[in-house]
Amino acid sequence: MTGTGELTFRRVHRGSPELLFACMTEPAHLTHFWGPAGTTTPVENIVVDLRPGGAFETTMVNDADGGTYTMRAVYAEVSPPDRLVWVEAGVEGGMRTTVTFIDLRDGRTEVVTHQSNVPAAYLSAEAQAGFVTSLDRCAAYLARLTA
Amino acid sequence: MPVLDDELSLVFAALADPTRRAIVERLARGDATVNELAEPFAMSQQAVSKHLKVLEQARLISRTRTAQSRPCVLETERLDEAVGWVALHRQVWSDRHDRLEQHLSTLRRAEESGR
Repeated sequence: MTGTGELTFRRVHRGSPELLFACMTEPAHLTHFWGPAGTTTPVENIVVDLRPGGAFETTMVNDADGGTYTMRAVYAEVSPPDRLVWVEAGVEGGMRTTVTFIDLRDGRTEVVTHQSNVPAAYLSAEAQAGFVTSLDRCAAYLARLTA
Repeated sequence: MPVLDDELSLVFAALADPTRRAIVERLARGDATVNELAEPFAMSQQAVSKHLKVLEQARLISRTRTAQSRPCVLETERLDEAVGWVALHRQVWSDRHDRLEQHLSTLRRAEESGR
């Protein structure tokens, strides 16, 4: 079944797949870029147990008010330096994030992040049979409608 | 981070069907009665009504109670919410990669000066 809320984000970075994989999995790297804008994720707030079934947890601190938000995920696949998959059970009925590292063989790596969720509302037979609309395409379509 | 609540789930589920998307597209150009909506789809009024019910439950459309013809009206703010959900998740990753880029260039500079 293809998920409901779904999006793909691509970015090309200078660096090898090994380096990018390390950035995504080592707290010392993650602390520099993980938290959404306006938040910081101190290195001691990052738990990485890099194995399938291992924990991936980050507690982001809001720069303005000190409020915290904890992401709790479990790694589903750990295949350095190509692929990393984690699942957040508590978010939106289950959010799965797949990060793929593609070696462009010119010193650059394309990092493809695919996020999909499986809200309970979609687990109906009807949804399983026919729901293949990616959220990205849906967004483009909706943007056209509301333009 | 926001939670994709059941309300928004209904919106996405409603838009998963091509006929319903066509209906929404038609209503984006202006209000229409069930008859007017049924016409281009070679569908019975009954079948169209079923689709309208799904759209109504998702609050993507509303139907005027007063007028005899009960025209369907598109509720655009619901579409905005759906677009907002996507935009927000994209924004998180976009920001994250902006900072990752900075981090990588810091690493490169450190490596170069260390040589």
